[in-house]
Amino acid sequence: MKTIRDSRIIVNNGSEAVFSGVITPRQLRDVSRAFNSLDARGEVVLDFTGCSGFDGVVAARIWSGILSLEASGARVKVTGMAPNLVKLLSDYTALDRRELPEVRQGWLFRHFSDIGEKVAAGLDSARGLVNFSVNSAFSIADALLKPHRIRWTLVAYYMEQAGVMAIPIIVTLQILLGFILGYQAGIQMGTLGAAKYMPRILAYSIFWEIGPMLTAVLVAGRSGSAFAAEIGTMKVRQEVDALEVMGFNLCGYIVAPKVLALYAVMPFLVLLSNFSGLFGALLAGEIFLDIPARVFVEEIRTSLIPLDVYWGMIKSLFYSGIIAITGCFMGIRVRGGAAAVGRATTSAVVSGIFQVILADALLSLVLAEIRPPVI
Amino acid sequence: MQREDNVLMGTRNLTGGYDSDMVLENVSMDVYCGEVLVIVGRSGCGKSTLMNHLLGLLKPWEGTVTYRGADIWESPERLDSARKKWGVLFQSGALLGSYTTIENVMLPLQEFTQLTAPERRIAALHKLDMVGLAEFAHYYPLELSGGMQKRAGLARAMALDPEVLFFDEPSAGLDPVTSHSLDELMLSINKTLGTTLVVVTHELDSIFAISDRVIMLDAEEKGIIAVGSPEDLATHHNDARVEAFFDRKAVPSRS
Repeated sequence: MKTIRDSRIIVNNGSEAVFSGVITPRQLRDVSRAFNSLDARGEVVLDFTGCSGFDGVVAARIWSGILSLEASGARVKVTGMAPNLVKLLSDYTALDRRELPEVRQGWLFRHFSDIGEKVAAGLDSARGLVNFSVNSAFSIADALLKPHRIRWTLVAYYMEQAGVMAIPIIVTLQILLGFILGYQAGIQMGTLGAAKYMPRILAYSIFWEIGPMLTAVLVAGRSGSAFAAEIGTMKVRQEVDALEVMGFNLCGYIVAPKVLALYAVMPFLVLLSNFSGLFGALLAGEIFLDIPARVFVEEIRTSLIPLDVYWGMIKSLFYSGIIAITGCFMGIRVRGGAAAVGRATTSAVVSGIFQVILADALLSLVLAEIRPPVI
Repeated sequence: MQREDNVLMGTRNLTGGYDSDMVLENVSMDVYCGEVLVIVGRSGCGKSTLMNHLLGLLKPWEGTVTYRGADIWESPERLDSARKKWGVLFQSGALLGSYTTIENVMLPLQEFTQLTAPERRIAALHKLDMVGLAEFAHYYPLELSGGMQKRAGLARAMALDPEVLFFDEPSAGLDPVTSHSLDELMLSINKTLGTTLVVVTHELDSIFAISDRVIMLDAEEKGIIAVGSPEDLATHHNDARVEAFFDRKAVPSRS
């Protein structure tokens, strides 16, 4: 390895560069400096007689140095270069001239074709989701008729993952939210002298909208994404294909436990979330708004009707179906590698929340009228 | 082809494995400059473990792994600088799916050299041309066949002109013809560039086609049971396990 220390690049009068020893990538800068100090207006001699070798990286720098010398009008003469190195440089030149097939089209074309492709992909995925939901619904119904075929241990596992583990975050967030909303509503309504109605309004909005919605968003973020990532990874590792060729019913085996688990836990998460929110509002009333807890509870007791409590739980059944099936669908659609799993996770959450809100809007349109006035 | 005076890397009394699972015990071996060394053995014998130790992916429990005479675990810088002299072809090719083939090959050039973009391109393209994939430079890994992905992985492993190339089961998942052409490619890299190759495989055809020297590992011994040229091991070896391996026979476990 002593040649490395002996390697040198010397430039004489700006018209001759002498390379010696083995030139390594550490000397890239020296190579550039040598090329830059050569005078490009006449004949330039590159003498490699003493040079015993260089690698592909250095070759690329020498090659581009020669090109730029020639481009600025110099006549470059290379002498004494070993035949394999000459071949390397001429390979570079030949490759540089070769037309390579481009898979990607020009950017303008790509711009327009992208729009169409995205719309088509969107429609395709919507159609796929509808198909998948119908299939899942049938196979879950089918599985429920033969309960011994459902893997109940898995159902329990997902109930724990999606339900029990979600309790701390849901309770904390909902108490905070109830507190903030109660405080703000109390202040605004106080200017109308209606602060005492704050508990009713809060109870109604939390039980009808905020509780179920926040729970659905959190569950979509925690569990919808987890389902998509889990199934997506199984898909990438060909586990899904393996199950399929073994004759397993994919919906029954992979999807049903997740959907059933969410159906089982979501109503109770919503219930918990609702009462946590109410508790937050109670705290706000007690601390800031001169509404004693006793009065708050009394207000709620007279204004809430049983439907209010059930309503969130009923809505949550729609939500859990949407979240679980969207998550599974996005996972099953994964093709390719790690990046595809990431995209599936994202679309499971985004599309899940979007559909939850859409469903909520439809349900409200149809059913908001059945609730007697709160105040 | 043996150059015993010219040890490039090796292990001394290496004991190691995964977590609490000891796979190798007291293993000493050398890799000579410019040779093609093949590590063989039946499944579970520690071939991949030995390679992971050589690559510095696993830390030895005891003993040392040396490269050019120095312990690679001496300091993090030592390991880093040694790794820049190594190229690895993983079983699946391990190309990054979100980059095109040529972008994959340019990746190490971008990270470790000061080459400009056009220079990186030509250097990467040349490596792709060596493995016969220049035409596929702008394809994504998913659009390539398994054999092509491996060749692209090889081009990426060669991007920085490494002194040693490691191959983890290069013929896994390839048909015999593709596998043979990969063998020839490996040989031509060894002959023309003088790159040292360390290959983990259990394909007999490959072993005879490419290796200068074979190291055979065994799960029960947790170490090396035979070293030599493939012909030596195949013809004059008394150990039943070595014989069985080269005769493709199953031997009952001795325990």
